Parts: sequence; structure tokens; C-alpha cells
Amino acid sequence: MIYLPIAEMPVNVLLILLVSGGVGFVSGLVGVGGGFIVTPSLIILGIPAPVAVATGLSQVAATSFSGIMTRTRRRSVDWRMGMLLSIGGMIGISLGVWLFQRLLGLGQLDLVISLLYLLLLASVGWLMLAESYAVMRGRTHRGVSILRRPARTIAHRLPFRMLFPRSGLYISVIPPLTLGFGIGALAALMGVGGGFILIPAMIYLLRMPTNVVVGTSLFQTLIVTSLLVIVQAKATATIDLVLAALLMLGGVVGAQLGARLGARLKGEQIRALLGAILIAASIKFLADVVVPPQETYVLGGAW
Amino acid sequence: MRRALAALALMALAAPVQAQRQPGDVARDLPAAVAEDRISVGSDYRGSSITVFGFNPDRRGRGDIVVVVRGPDKPAMLMRKRRVFGLWVNGDRVAFASAPTFFAVLSTQSLNIIAPAAAIRQYELDPAASAELASETPRGSTGADYRAALVRLRRAQGLYQEQVGITNDDTQGAITLYRGGLFRAVVRLPANAPIDEYQVDTYLFRDRRLISSQRTPVNIARIGIERNIHDLANQYPVLYGILTVLFALGVGWGAAALFRRS
Repeated sequence: MIYLPIAEMPVNVLLILLVSGGVGFVSGLVGVGGGFIVTPSLIILGIPAPVAVATGLSQVAATSFSGIMTRTRRRSVDWRMGMLLSIGGMIGISLGVWLFQRLLGLGQLDLVISLLYLLLLASVGWLMLAESYAVMRGRTHRGVSILRRPARTIAHRLPFRMLFPRSGLYISVIPPLTLGFGIGALAALMGVGGGFILIPAMIYLLRMPTNVVVGTSLFQTLIVTSLLVIVQAKATATIDLVLAALLMLGGVVGAQLGARLGARLKGEQIRALLGAILIAASIKFLADVVVPPQETYVLGGAW
Repeated sequence: MRRALAALALMALAAPVQAQRQPGDVARDLPAAVAEDRISVGSDYRGSSITVFGFNPDRRGRGDIVVVVRGPDKPAMLMRKRRVFGLWVNGDRVAFASAPTFFAVLSTQSLNIIAPAAAIRQYELDPAASAELASETPRGSTGADYRAALVRLRRAQGLYQEQVGITNDDTQGAITLYRGGLFRAVVRLPANAPIDEYQVDTYLFRDRRLISSQRTPVNIARIGIERNIHDLANQYPVLYGILTVLFALGVGWGAAALFRRS
């Protein structure tokens, strides 16, 4: 047991290490950042939702930096695109943190976080299950044919076009800025890195070559989450350094193990399993808002 | 414990001298003291307890003891869940201008027997009496509903405690009476109790009237790394944020370096 100085509660060190290690393991296995798994896990463990959201981000920052360190050597980051996404992200952060503070003051933050996670976990879980089911049935390319990459997207038609040499693109700056904005706001409210939205959007909307997508997404995630940690520390004082340290230690060790095992396993089975876990977790959040409560009053503003 | 008893003995001697009656106020001369004058919160903190010792000066042992351990008053907010499109959302907000963040009351008998309702309100002997509503309550509910709900919710968190009765076998959470008028009360502080200045009030009632009382402060304070982290996060939040990020980068870098080598 260790007492968390900001969350002001004792937690079981082994339990947190196990959970963060497990989350790291899964994210290493599947190749996702893990923010959207770590934050709901903390909430389910009883950490106050605002602390879980803000502190989970620091773990995402650690994971994305570790990812960048292993990727930059392969020159797979479009720095210009990354900067543009990050500028959008910064504006998104300001809006997200403002909403976070406002909802915290109104006592509605926990509810909004639960609802957002309910939507996110259910939809991502469902997509993963559906996709891996399709792959297992042998219809590997069905997903691609539906989302056939158009030659020119809206990104090519909007004004303020700019050259992105690393990606070989000449597109408008508006879609990357908007994308970055949305992900910054989501990161502030949910404690997610946003890679699961950013990566498909980069491929299908911006038409970036796949070899720079992951690196650039990691770069944007690192900038947005690092900034958010500092902004949240100042604005809401919800970053728990002790909890963050435990999450990072468990997370990076788990991620290493996961990545090694992942290389030897079938991707679609892992994704099906993760999809099932996410749907199970979303049911917990659903129950919170659908089941008639025994106690109709709630304390607000405790955090 | 020994220190508390020594303090108590001193107080019992000094009591007649201390008796400075202020008009309309009851003398603060009940010999009572707290064994812990400071409770430290370190990284191994899992809650604590406050032990109150006292002495009933009545030779025949008449009278009832009430011990109130109280955390600082803070504004609070309460919401009633409402069903919107099949979802239970938080609606109907009611604000409390101030409510005790921690409130434990121990009494040798039920408070209603010991003191009249007016005295319970005046001396704030029960948590509901101490919570001040700041806003209008929505239609279909009364202030009393919200007060009761506040007490119920905080009681479930262990922050509000009410214990009635006496014990002879040192049961925690009740008042123990010893021969010769000595009494002892132990209040359990859960780990989620706020870390702040507390005050312990001990009252002696007889014939439904307050005879004397005593107030002792207890300080719960963070020590060591808990304190450093908390102070840093509150006094230099930007630096704290930057440190967290640097720590994250360090861990990320370390992991990447390890990964590369192996």
C-alpha cells in the first residue's frame, strides 16, 4: 500500500503495477498507445476520474516518447505535419481544459467522462471485433474496399495549401489543424493520446503514406500529452506524480513484453480479445448510467 | 498516552484557575486532552485515529460526555440523479456554503436524551446541524432531504460517524468510562479524511444542560516525500508539471534504450 499525495488515497502498489503492466502488455501486443485503456482501468479501480484522466496522460507521454526514440532513426516522422497537428492540438487543449474545469465546477465531469468512455470503448471494441471476425473468416480486404482511398479528398480542395515533402503531399492546412484540435480536446477530457483516431484519419483523409503515419502520430501525441500534463498540473492540480510513476514503470515493462509476444501471435485473435475486453468495460460504464441508482443523491466537486 | 495523561493531570490541577467565564459562554474548563497532537501522513498512511482523554470532575460521576472531532468546514455540492432519455444524469444541484469535511460525534447516550434540540443546533453536535445550505432547493424536495443525503453519503465514506453508548472493554469508536471519572474516546480517521487542521470538542452535559467543555486542536500533516510532492504541486504547479513530463520522457527514453540493446 502506498498513499497517493494528490488523489489522497492509499492504493495497492502491486495492483496498480499489475494493471498498468497488463495495459502496457496489451498495448504492446496490439500496437496502440494505451491511454484509452489505462484511464478507464484507473476509474474502475476507484481513482477519482479527474485524477485518472490527467495522470493517465503522463503514461501516454512516456509510451509515445519511447516509441519515437525507436522510430526516428528510420526517418519516419513528418515533422512539418506533426507540428501543424500539434498547433491544432494546443488550441484543442485550451478548449478541453476549459471544459474540464467547467464540468468539474458543475460536478458533471465524472458523468461526462463515463459517457465519453462508454461511447469510445463500445465503438472501438465493436470495430476491433468486427474487423478481426472478418479477417478470421478470410475476407481480409473487405475493410479496405469499403474505405477505398480516394485519389483526392477534401484535404486537397480546401484553401491554404502547403507542401509536406516527407509525405509527398500538397494539401490544405485546415484538415490537419482541425484534426489536431479535436484530438487535443479529446485528450484533455478523456486522457487518451488519440492515435486510434489520428492514424485512420491520416491514412484516409490526409492520404499520408503509411510509413510516416505512425511516427507522426506518436510525435503529435507526445507534444499534446506533455503540454496537457503541464497545463492540467497548473489548472486543476490533478496530476499525481506517485501514481504516474507507478503507471509508467508498469506500462513500459508490460509494453516491452507485449511487443515481443505480439510478434509471434496472430494479430486478429489479439484484436478480437481486446475488442471483447473493451466491450466488457463499456458495459460497466453503461451500467453506471442506466441502472436505477440506489442512492439518488451524489456528492459533487469532491474532486 | 503517558504524555496525554500527564497533560490531563496538569489540566485537572489548573482547571479552577482557568475558569474564565465569558458571558453567554460555557466555561472551557473540562479537563480533556488528545493523545495525538499531530498525525503524520507519509507514504505508508492508511488512516489513523484520534484518542481523547478526559475527566469528569463530578464526584458521583453524574453527567454525559459528548466528544466531537471535526474537520474544517468547506463548501459542498450535492446533486440528485435524474433520468434523461433513459440515462441517469446528475441534475438538481444544491450547494452548501459550508459543511464539515469530517465529523465524528461520540456520546455516552443518545444526543436527544443528553441535550435539547436547541443545544444540539447551537453547539453543532450533529453533522446535519453544521451544514449550511447556500442555495434554494429544487421543487419537490426540502433542505432537510439534501442535508440528510449529505450526511448519508459522507457516512458511507466514513467521513461522518455517530457513536452512541459506553463500553468497558476498549471497543474502538465508543466512549470508555474508567473508575474515578476518567473517560476515553477513540475516533477512527479513515485514509480519505481530509489532511488538515481538526478540532476536538469535549462536552459535559448534566440535566440536559451544558456544564463545561474543552477544545483541543489536532493537526494532520503530510511528512516526507508526500509533503514535498503535495507542496510542489500546489506552490509551483508548472514546475511540477514539467518535472512529471521530464520523468515520463526519462522513463520512455530508458525503455527505448533497453529495447534497442536487447
